[in-house]
Amino acid sequence: MIWKIAKKEFLLNLVSARFIIGFLLCLFLIPFTVTVNIDDYDSRMRVYRVDKANAENSFKVRVYSQLRPEIVKPPEPLSIFCQGISGNVGNRVKIWLGDKPLFATGKAAIRDNPLLNSFFSIDFVGIIAIVMSLLALIFTYDACTREKENGTLKLLLSNSLSRYKILLGKVLGVYLTLLPIVLFCYILSFILILNSPNISFSASDWGRIILLFFVSLLYFTVFIFIGLLISARLKSSITSIIVCLFFWVFFVFIVPNLAVYMAESWKKVQSYDNLQYVLQDLGKEFNSKCDEYAKTLEAPDWWNNMNHEWDSDGRRIMSGSSKSRFEWWRKFHEFSEPLRIDYADKKWNLQKAYLDSLNEQRNFAEMISLISPSEVFRLISASLCCTDVASHCRFMDRTRRYRDEFIDFFRDRKIFSSFLYITPQPPETFMTADEIISTRTGGECKNLKELGEWMNAHGGSWGIIRKVQIPGTHYNEYPFLDLSDVPVFRWQSENIFAGLKQVFLKKVAGLIIVSIIFFYLSFLSFLRYDVR
Amino acid sequence: MIKTIIIKELQNNLYSLRFHISFLLCIVIFVVGTIAFLKKQDAKMQEYSKYRAEFKNQLRQTAESNAGKLAVNKRAFIWRPRANDFISDCKEKYFPNRFNYSAYNVFGFEVGRGGTNPFLSTFQELNWSFIVSVVLSFTVLLFTFDTISGEKETGALALVLSNSIPRAKVLLGKYISAIITTMVMAIFGIVLSILIVIFSRKVDFTSAMLMETLAFLLLVFLFLSCTAAIGTLSSVIAHKSNISLLLSLTFWLVFVVIVPNTAIFWANKVFSIEHADTIGRKINTADQELRRNAPEGSNTSSSGFPFLPEHKLRAELTMKRMNSEMAIRNSYFQDMFRQLESTRLVSLISPIALFDYMNEAVVGGGYARFKKVWTDLHGYQAQFLQFLKTIDAEDPDSPHWYNPWEDLSTTKKPVAFEQVPLFEEKPLSLAARFSFLKNYLVVIIFYIAAVFSLTFVLFLRYDVR
Repeated sequence: MIWKIAKKEFLLNLVSARFIIGFLLCLFLIPFTVTVNIDDYDSRMRVYRVDKANAENSFKVRVYSQLRPEIVKPPEPLSIFCQGISGNVGNRVKIWLGDKPLFATGKAAIRDNPLLNSFFSIDFVGIIAIVMSLLALIFTYDACTREKENGTLKLLLSNSLSRYKILLGKVLGVYLTLLPIVLFCYILSFILILNSPNISFSASDWGRIILLFFVSLLYFTVFIFIGLLISARLKSSITSIIVCLFFWVFFVFIVPNLAVYMAESWKKVQSYDNLQYVLQDLGKEFNSKCDEYAKTLEAPDWWNNMNHEWDSDGRRIMSGSSKSRFEWWRKFHEFSEPLRIDYADKKWNLQKAYLDSLNEQRNFAEMISLISPSEVFRLISASLCCTDVASHCRFMDRTRRYRDEFIDFFRDRKIFSSFLYITPQPPETFMTADEIISTRTGGECKNLKELGEWMNAHGGSWGIIRKVQIPGTHYNEYPFLDLSDVPVFRWQSENIFAGLKQVFLKKVAGLIIVSIIFFYLSFLSFLRYDVR
Repeated sequence: MIKTIIIKELQNNLYSLRFHISFLLCIVIFVVGTIAFLKKQDAKMQEYSKYRAEFKNQLRQTAESNAGKLAVNKRAFIWRPRANDFISDCKEKYFPNRFNYSAYNVFGFEVGRGGTNPFLSTFQELNWSFIVSVVLSFTVLLFTFDTISGEKETGALALVLSNSIPRAKVLLGKYISAIITTMVMAIFGIVLSILIVIFSRKVDFTSAMLMETLAFLLLVFLFLSCTAAIGTLSSVIAHKSNISLLLSLTFWLVFVVIVPNTAIFWANKVFSIEHADTIGRKINTADQELRRNAPEGSNTSSSGFPFLPEHKLRAELTMKRMNSEMAIRNSYFQDMFRQLESTRLVSLISPIALFDYMNEAVVGGGYARFKKVWTDLHGYQAQFLQFLKTIDAEDPDSPHWYNPWEDLSTTKKPVAFEQVPLFEEKPLSLAARFSFLKNYLVVIIFYIAAVFSLTFVLFLRYDVR
């Protein structure tokens, strides 16, 4: 009997205007959204390839101080389904000695024009969350009221048919109607994805999509029961639809904004710019300690650095200087680099506190958003698609661990105290200042004093020093370092169950419990429903 | 007669369940939104004044040590939190709100990390503009979707039209009453919100804000007239109220979700601009060309002696390099502005997007504000450079070779901080706001007229049986 009712409901729904409009809405929206997101993925992929090539160049160095590996995370293929926070966070992490990785960079690259940031974008999961909940409500709001208004409910109940069977039949009918639409949405997006050449899903990705499909079913089940409950509590269809729609607007449009807005207001987060100022102060402290140490070092015979290039984070490459100048710099870095790492830890204490406050704010927002099934659905989808905050944090944790590994490598090999940290020139070819001066000036000046006199006579010009070039004193003459033993960050996509245990235990179980409660309540209400 | 219809409709509306629910929802969001705004504004202002104090402090330190450094150092101007954010935030936190400049140039803009949390999903703040554009637009559709088709179903429409009333009056009466009903909610919520703001004493409710509120109300009226026209249109298209409901829901989804969320797609496909990395390569090529053709000695690294002739060559080279880079960048910025403007033009199909853009003019935020800061900052930069050149000219120890990246061959004398010009953002003038607004006003009035006339024509042919 349940089947008969379900079949009747299904056939009635199938020819109804709401089915046609709902179906058309999906037919138009899903391909459009998926195409937009595939396009977005392609452009991320393009940026990724450029970044990746640049990152590989970060290993082409002549001295160790210039080695600062860059990690580039490939775009998550499942972001086509759910973007999560992937648009807010970057995908590139540079490993510095003076800073632990806090945020990934490279966000702006995804969107060339930062002005377009004011436009939001929607993904597959967003469409499912909006449209399927609406359809579920539209198909159930009049489950009891319409039949009552038409008088058919009386007729139905005058048969020897138990009310629970009618209710189950109706639920099944709606399910049968909505299932093809959801299935259709998924199949359509599969076809689009399989047709685009740049996307390849791994087995684990497919597994996750299948899980996503079941979560979508669970999601609209909740709304079916909400609609059923409202229908069983009210007398007229028009009241029922109004109440249903307000719930829909509240859950789908208001709660997501309300939750985040309240979190931003009630959980305070320090401004990033102000954090930068505090970090700058630490940087200054570090610099002054280095300067103090430099004063204690024995002065070299010549301060000239000859061929020299330097950059932030202690990156320095030099050649052609005097032996004692090389030694001066070696001692300087032997002191400064471990101190730099210590300061990175000091900075990290502040950064960690900042990161924690961001997470606390996010948790608060998440907690409020739990009142909306559609937000729960979005959160579950983001974890399934590895685009949630937790996946990002796991990635950042791994980059920090990699930095530790990288530093351990430097420490184990005593690289900070070696000449190779700053110069590719072999120590046996180092010369004294006087040797350099007399060779380079072609014997015209014998020592520093004579050079000084020459320069004074020629308006401060260094011209004479370029007269004779000494082979092997320019760093560009040396090959790149062989870095085959340096630890490399290997990017592996997460396995199918990574981070899912928590989600399934809490959120999915929550959705199931909520839908059972709603079903039970609607069942109770329907038992007492006044059919007159 | 039209008055009778309006009064009857108003009574109908005010006693209906939809009015009660939407009124309650609206008021709750107005109150929660305003309280949340006040809490947040307080914290934001604290952080901003801390930031600004430190900014000035650093500027003072630099000024009092070396004026040349003052010219060379790159700084960021970050715009201050607006006190009238509770009317509309114009999505400013997602907007480029950080401008990089030195005395030599304005280098660009970016979306500052500032106080935003990258771990939160993008969202809209619960301000007046959000409530009107999402909640009230939905409510007005709920009031209009069955004005015609619903009455037809109950048979009341046939009865009404059997009297000697022209159809235009019936339609207009229903239309106006729906607008009035939702306007009542908006006004009630706004007054409540203003009262909360005034009594909290955290934000001064100035006379300028009062003017902005009135202008906002005018826009709300236009916006609600537009959505009410769309709701009435869906009511006369269909003959059954549930179908007209579906139609108006579809319209609403298109306006709230689809159009704003697909703008990026149109921007990238129809109004595409060059990729940032292509621009980077162009700059690099031009830069290498300049460096290659530079006279011998231009690339010599620095020596402490300011009057070394090589420094002059290098200063000329770096100036050329900066100018060549900025010429490429500035034309790219123009492309960006054009891309945004064209994309906005496409999204005007949605009255909600239209309403958002108009609000920018009302509160002086968003793109209108961005353009103003961008232009003003260029003016300031010229003034700042002139100031430093004057100081430099008075210094006999300076060779006056302006190098945008080094302070070696310009003055190194300290300068009193009080004399240094500071960039302060000025609010948008009334004229600027109006010129930003006027085209949008024309569009929305045209929109209302077009939709309402279509509705009227369809209603004239409406079969009441």
